[in-house]
Amino acid sequence: MLSKQQEALLSKVQKPARYTGGELNSVVKDKEKVKFRYAFCFPDTYEIGMSHLGMKILYGLVNAREDAWCERVFAPGTDMEEEMRKAGVPLFALESSDPIKDFDMIAFTLQYELCYTNVLNMLDLAGLPLRSKDRTDLMPIVVGGGPCVCNPEPIADFFDIFLPGEGEEVTNELIDLFIEHKEKGSTKLEFLREAAKIEGVYVPAFYDVTYHEDGTIEAVTPKETAPAKVKKRIISDLDSTYYPDKFVVPFIEIVHDRSVAEVFRGCIRGCRFCQAGFIYRPIREKSAAVIDKQAKSLCDTSGYDEISLCSLSTSDYTQLEDLVKKLFSWALPQKINVALPSLRVDNFSEELMEELKKVRKSGLTFAPEAGTQRLRDVINKNVTEEEVMNTCAQAFKGGWTSVKLYFMMGLPTETMDDIVGMADLAQKVVNLYYQNPDRPKGKAVSVSISVASFIPKPFTPFQWEPQDTMDNLVKKQKVLLENVHTHKIQVSWHQSHTSFLEGVLARGDRKLCDVMESAYRKGCKFDSWDEHFCFENWMAAFEECGIDPTFYNNRKREFSEILPWDHLDYGVRKEFLMHENEKAHRNETTPHCRLKCSACGAAKLNGGHCDAK
Amino acid sequence: MQNEFNDIRIFFTKTDMTKYISHLDLMRCMGRAIRRAGIPLWYTEGYNPHLFMTFARPLSLGQESLCECVDVRLVGEMTLKEVKQRLNDALPPGITIVSVAKPVHKAMEIASADYEITLRPDDVAGLKACIEAHYAKPTITVLKKAKQGRRKIEKEVDIKPNVLSFRLEQTDDALKLFLRLTAGIDNNINPSLLLSALEEDFPEEFVQTSILKTKIYIANGEVFS
Repeated sequence: MLSKQQEALLSKVQKPARYTGGELNSVVKDKEKVKFRYAFCFPDTYEIGMSHLGMKILYGLVNAREDAWCERVFAPGTDMEEEMRKAGVPLFALESSDPIKDFDMIAFTLQYELCYTNVLNMLDLAGLPLRSKDRTDLMPIVVGGGPCVCNPEPIADFFDIFLPGEGEEVTNELIDLFIEHKEKGSTKLEFLREAAKIEGVYVPAFYDVTYHEDGTIEAVTPKETAPAKVKKRIISDLDSTYYPDKFVVPFIEIVHDRSVAEVFRGCIRGCRFCQAGFIYRPIREKSAAVIDKQAKSLCDTSGYDEISLCSLSTSDYTQLEDLVKKLFSWALPQKINVALPSLRVDNFSEELMEELKKVRKSGLTFAPEAGTQRLRDVINKNVTEEEVMNTCAQAFKGGWTSVKLYFMMGLPTETMDDIVGMADLAQKVVNLYYQNPDRPKGKAVSVSISVASFIPKPFTPFQWEPQDTMDNLVKKQKVLLENVHTHKIQVSWHQSHTSFLEGVLARGDRKLCDVMESAYRKGCKFDSWDEHFCFENWMAAFEECGIDPTFYNNRKREFSEILPWDHLDYGVRKEFLMHENEKAHRNETTPHCRLKCSACGAAKLNGGHCDAK
Repeated sequence: MQNEFNDIRIFFTKTDMTKYISHLDLMRCMGRAIRRAGIPLWYTEGYNPHLFMTFARPLSLGQESLCECVDVRLVGEMTLKEVKQRLNDALPPGITIVSVAKPVHKAMEIASADYEITLRPDDVAGLKACIEAHYAKPTITVLKKAKQGRRKIEKEVDIKPNVLSFRLEQTDDALKLFLRLTAGIDNNINPSLLLSALEEDFPEEFVQTSILKTKIYIANGEVFS
């Protein structure tokens, strides 16, 4: 329950229901009866954080323990933050409304690099010192998880522990250990020493990083009880692992306001630009019967009228047709819509298309990612123009009139021909629509081209590549616009400034921690929001710390260089990534994992087992 | 009101934390509760079938109510008692079903509503005097948001004629204001308008004000049901 002081703030802010808690299925426990209090923080607004499946899983998982209470915390909107600071109200958790600085563990999920300043802001708003070394007590331990933890070095100084990989098992192990040490009265160092022995626990303070004169890393040396390499954790069997049977149902509309059924982890495709495609390996599928049961339970307990399948590439799920039939059999009579995002162009079968006609039509989206076949081969996006055309033709026959095409700009080896290729492909789709004699009368086709800037990420074959400069990207955007000749094609792109910063943070090292704090002190927060992002402040922070950001994103790295994330083991071998990089530069593709295993190495995390084989 | 459909009217409260749910969010929340409760209701038959629900009057964000009302259409066999029971089990705390019955009046007939406003100023006696002085004046002029065609404008209106009854009670730390205001499509008056009129004359900020809607009536003074 909110205190009178907390509630008084609500009448002054937008969307007060973000801060009240009390939603259906939220878990309230007696704080006197639990041994461990856990604040699960999502460093962005309620609407974004509440859409995150990982939080729903870990929230249910921790609350299933009798001895622990997990509560949710989100970054307050800037209006709420201002009121909280004015009134001296510290950051509180939604369920109990208690200040989180008194919790045992504060965990942040790090889903994108541009949320880092929000983490600092939330620690500050909680009333805690930002840096791990300045928080000397055992409580609270600040933990980070999520995909960004594959290179957490730019924020290493602010966290006590990172958990690379999947959290279902290691979270419980860490909680058990913490309770033991809390009861023993251990110091923070004593606890961290034991924690570092758990597989998949990375204690950044236990690694000394030294640098060469040119700024590259000389060595990363483990100390205390830390292993030389921290191996990410994975869940071996998705059928038996915990999955929530209830979601907290928010009062206000969130970004993904529906039930979610996870179908598999990992991806067989190996697109060379895609970090998710590598860091979530190996492939592990959940069986259709289990997914069906979990989906039904979620719909029953939430009352949602939509269920969405979640994976990196839904159409690669081997039991998809079986699953879709199962889901439709109970969902459609109850007027529950089934959404299948992430369908690929090349294996969109006619039978599936027929099934999909039964549910609400969403937009048709393709991600060719590059404008020419040559460049698509470089990035190993094995989609051909013919496949795009065939699927569009089918879709136009099925009554679709709008198509979205996703591209990336600034890919390795890219030339202006590749940029022109994007416009050409969109034009061909427009032409195709008007060649269809059965097209709906009086309806125009609409093709939107959405262009993201390519950002090289850790644990991908492009981790050594330079990121395109902002000047170049602006030039390329111009060329693209000049080559679009009809209003039926709309073009949109990402801001190059945010991509620049994201690139720096993605492959940064520990020297960036000072920049991070300096940028935060200058007022940077919500960097992923256009209306809040302040590039000037960031550049001032780089300058103040004497750090050249282009060192991190516009520089080509040698294979021999020690990368800031080399002491983390995500299963995928570095030699494999090098080999893939070389193939990219030879315009050679790699078949997907079901056609031929390319021995990436991730299967060793799962006892040699991979569902792609 | 009789018709061939099995229309039912559900009265419910919207109190405590649920006062921070907007009208749009309330509609979503109610729809989900109905689905969780497994009540057989009619869906529209368009391309995107959706649950047919008609709310009588939206409540402002931040205000509480004991008499919110939604009409739905039952299509299966279920007693009204069971509808009430099941819905109450499915709804979040703060929203409680008061009654489920066949509608008697049309929503169009709503003419007035009772409100209970609790004010907790530092200077209770001062505020009481201020309110009494205000009410003694021949007119109560407020700025009301209105539309002129598609343009949004603010115009000055006298809402004294809309205040049908007025009573003030003083306790140790609070003032309670019992109001009956005109309501309905044409001359709905939000009780917060009266408070904004006060704010000009009374310097304190009303941080701990609660507004509770308690009853709605039709023109002849009968309780809307």
